[in-house]
This record gives sequence, structure tokens and C-alpha cells, in this order.
Amino acid sequence: MAEAGRRAGDLFLDLLQTLLRLLPWPTETGVRAVGFPDASSPVLLTGNYALTVRRVLRALEGVDAWLVVAPSAGINVWCAASGGHLGTHQVVTALKTSGVAERVHHRNVILPQLAATGVIARDVKRRCGWRARFGPVRAEDIPRYLAQDAKKSDDMRHVGFDARERSEMALAWGGPMALAAGLVLAWVHAPWALPVAGYALLAAFAAFFALDRLPAPRRTGFAALVVGVGLGATALAGGGIAALSAAGVSGGVIAALLTFDYAGSTPIEGGSHFEERRFDVTLDLERCKGVYSCWEVCPEACFEKPAPGSEDRRISIAHAERCVHCGACIVQCSLDALAFEDAAGRRIEPDAIRRFKLNLLGQRVA
Amino acid sequence: MSSLALMRWLEAAPERYDAGMRLLTLGRAARAHAFVAAAAARRDAQVLEIGCGTGALTERLVAGGAQVTAVDQNPEMLERARARLAEVGVLDRVELVERTAAESDALPAASRDAVVASFALSEMSRDERRHLLRAARRVLRPGGVLVLADEVVPPPGLWRALHCGLRAPQALLGWLLVGAVSRPLSNLPAELVEAGFRVRARQRWLLGGLEACVAVPVEGGGASGG
Repeated sequence: MAEAGRRAGDLFLDLLQTLLRLLPWPTETGVRAVGFPDASSPVLLTGNYALTVRRVLRALEGVDAWLVVAPSAGINVWCAASGGHLGTHQVVTALKTSGVAERVHHRNVILPQLAATGVIARDVKRRCGWRARFGPVRAEDIPRYLAQDAKKSDDMRHVGFDARERSEMALAWGGPMALAAGLVLAWVHAPWALPVAGYALLAAFAAFFALDRLPAPRRTGFAALVVGVGLGATALAGGGIAALSAAGVSGGVIAALLTFDYAGSTPIEGGSHFEERRFDVTLDLERCKGVYSCWEVCPEACFEKPAPGSEDRRISIAHAERCVHCGACIVQCSLDALAFEDAAGRRIEPDAIRRFKLNLLGQRVA
Repeated sequence: MSSLALMRWLEAAPERYDAGMRLLTLGRAARAHAFVAAAAARRDAQVLEIGCGTGALTERLVAGGAQVTAVDQNPEMLERARARLAEVGVLDRVELVERTAAESDALPAASRDAVVASFALSEMSRDERRHLLRAARRVLRPGGVLVLADEVVPPPGLWRALHCGLRAPQALLGWLLVGAVSRPLSNLPAELVEAGFRVRARQRWLLGGLEACVAVPVEGGGASGG
């Protein structure tokens, strides 16, 4: 009974926090025992975003481990790492203050791979003695990863964007939008509140399922179509001036939604609002010694190792077109062989990328 | 685009930090800083400041004659502190370090005359505070003081009720204005005692919601204070 109650509570929180996932949802930091861990059990680390922590705990059912919840300002791993809220500082703080060091006799910690844009693994070792390595992207893969001796297979390293993830993001962006549109209409012209809110939600889903399948110019056309259909439907259904203007306004908002650049919300390339997008990752072959930490952390499989047996051990950027400019490869390269460079030859050096994280406008603040 | 405007606003948090704090504390942050500086700074005192932010307290400490090691983990805040201290020409009396409060345990034992922190503890978890307070006790010289100023939960009664009522909108305002996610400290004296300190003096403002206190190490106190 208590178990059923807990699950229902979790489901409610999952739904609420998915709907409002653009807001921070902080949860308790510190170390948690998962299953029945002992002094040799693996130590995993994640941010203190409530939804993530619950998901990680669910994914770890049947595993004995220590989970360190680091202070990431209540923001999810990927956004917090890119935005400077989950970096080396926060990982060092968590490892030093959570008391996990007294619970295990080893000093190995497994970080989520998507934290690689923020956490400099080798600095963690230097500053607090813990050897940090990047585990799988998804929490669901952790049991398999641990079972195969902390070895990552390619599928654990790469980010996809499946229907479930698309729906979640559509709900996160479209949900509050539908709610706002519905509330405004309930006040202005009540009978239209529900249809318009429903339409806004539908449009958000359409946007997230079509986003990467439509080139940018067509996306604008698609947005115009959505507004047109909304206005047309309102007029045909006999909506008066009030309903039409309300539909127009919400249509405009939906159109904005459709053409918006969801930096960080999707693993696919968006528009061009964001400064960093004009920069590409460049490789200085003189400096590359074939360490492959870039290959290890790239969520889009942009890098390719040389063929086995090849004399040249250096990496190559084989699929630059997939790059989402997260900068993880640049942050992790201990030889500073990678940097951002734009067409005009302007460079963002690795140190600037490590120290100053991306802000919400896609700029690095120096 | 509205969302872009909101993002622009949120991103400018460090620029608004000082003005935001003045507004949020109705100007009392400055009084708390004055209290801390008066208790911690004297000529050539070696002071460790945890979470210096934009350097408002740092500047007062230096004005009081202290030599300050100011630690913050936010590089943008440190840049602002650097600019402020350079402007008043006291950068040579301050060492600004990008580091976490948790790493204060790596400083030499008995190396500081005072450890101070303003509005830093309320942004930390219980574990982080415990760790920091123990580290502070360790780095203090005999006769050294720990001086704190922070948001606290007022004592039970009418003021607490009023404070709780005002807290939610204030917390939201705090997040929007200065980008800080803080939780008022509910039992600072107990945490100080646990870490081996004794409170020697304290002062409160804002219905008891803002407190500054001076604490001194207790001889042989603290679970693992040494």
C-alpha cells in the first residue's frame, strides 16, 4: 500500500516536473545508499535536479552503489554543466563534503557523460584525489555499464532523440505555453480557452517531431501555416473579433515556439540565435597525441579514431556536421589540441571555454 | 522575443547583484557587513573570506586594515570583485582565489586571525556548512574569530510567522534579482556548537531574518575540530 502510494506520488512529481522542467527543481544534496553498498561499491555522481535523481534511483534498482548528489542549483546535468552550475567546483564540493570518502576505500567516481562540458575530470583528481571518469549518457545504461566492468559501448556514449524524449520536450515547452494561452483566453473569451490551449500543445508536439526534419526556411513556413490554420479554424467556427485576436496572439506565440532555437533542449542543431553556433571545433593535429578523451565524451560521435594498426594515432573530426557545439571535447582535451574557431578566424581558446560557461544566450562571458 | 528577454535578464545577475542585495535586505546587508568588518578586521589581521561575491565585504575588511584571502567559486563574481578593489586601489591587500569553500580544509592550520562569510552559508547544504565550519576552526589561530552574516529563520512567534509569509515572494525575487538560491539558516548556533565554536556576540535585523554573529573556538571542543 505504502509502495503504491509512493509510486503514485513519484508519477505525479514526474509529470509536474516534466511540465515545468524549465524551472529548477532542487533536491537534497549529499550521499545516498542505493541497495546495500559496501566499501568497495561503485560511486556514481549526478546533479541535484529532483527529476534526474528519482530517475537515476529507479534505473539503479537491483544495483548496490553510492550515489553522490552534487549541488547543480536544481538544474539537470546537461544544462547545469553547460551553464556553469555543475562544474569541477561542484563535483569537488560534493566529494569533499558528502562524507562519501569515509564510506568507500577506493577513490573512483563515475560522472554522467553529459557533465563533460563542465567538469574537468583531471582537475577533480588534482584537487581532491578522486579519479573521475565519464559513464553512460543515460541513467538506464548504468547497470549494464557496471556489469561490463565500467566499459562503455558506443550506444552508451551517443545521444539520440527518440519519441519519448521528443514528447517530454514538447510537454516542457508546450505545456506552460498552452496553460498561459488557456488562462488568457479564459479571461478574454472563455469558450475558446480549451481549444486554443489544446492547439498550442499540439503545435508544440508537431514542432518537436518535425524540427530536425525541416530546414530552417521551411520551419518559418510551417510556423506561418500553424498560425493560418489556427486563425482559419477560429473564423470558420464563428469566432468573433475577441476570439480571432486571441487566436492571433496565441498563434504568434506558437509560431515563436516553432522557430525558437531550443539550445540544450534537443541534441539537434537549431537556428542561429546563439553566438557559439557560428564557431566550429577545430583540431590542431600538431598537438594531438591520440589520447581520445574527445572521442570518449562526444555525444554526437563526431570524432573517428584511426583504423587499428594504423601508424598515425591522431583523431579526426569525421562528422563535423553532427556537432552541437557543446564544447565537451575542448574542455576535456589535456593537450589543448581543440578550440572553437569561426569563418573569420576568431578563436575561443580552451581556457575561456573551461572557465566561462555558456549562458542562456549562447555567449561565453569573459 | 519574451523568453530571450527573460534569459537576458537572468544572465545579467552578477551585474545586478549589489543593487539586488540592497533592495532585498532593505539596505541592511551594508550594516551586517559593517558589523562583520568591525569584528574581524584590525591592522594587518590575516582574514579568510568565504564566498566574497562582488567584494562588498572584502572592501570593508581591507579598509579596516586586514590582509584578505577572498575565495569564491564564481569567476564572474571574482572579476567584479577585482574591478571594485582595483578601483579603490587596494588590490595589493587582497588575494582573490577561484576555489570552493570546501577546499578551505587544505589551508595551513592556525594561519588566519579571522574567517568571515556573508550570505554564503545559506547557499550551502548542511554537509557543506559542517565541512566548512570544521575547516574554519582548524585554520584559525589562537584568539581568532569566526564572523558570519546571513539569512536566518527568526525565533518562533509573530516575527517568524510574518517572515515565513514574506519569504516565498522574497525568495522568488531573490532568484530573479540576483540569481541566488538560498535557504535561511534554521539553527546556526547549534551548528556552530557542533563544530566547536561558542557564540560571543550577535545582532539581528529585518524582523530577526538577518543575523550577524561572532563565534570563537571552544578549547578542546568540536567533534573532530582539530
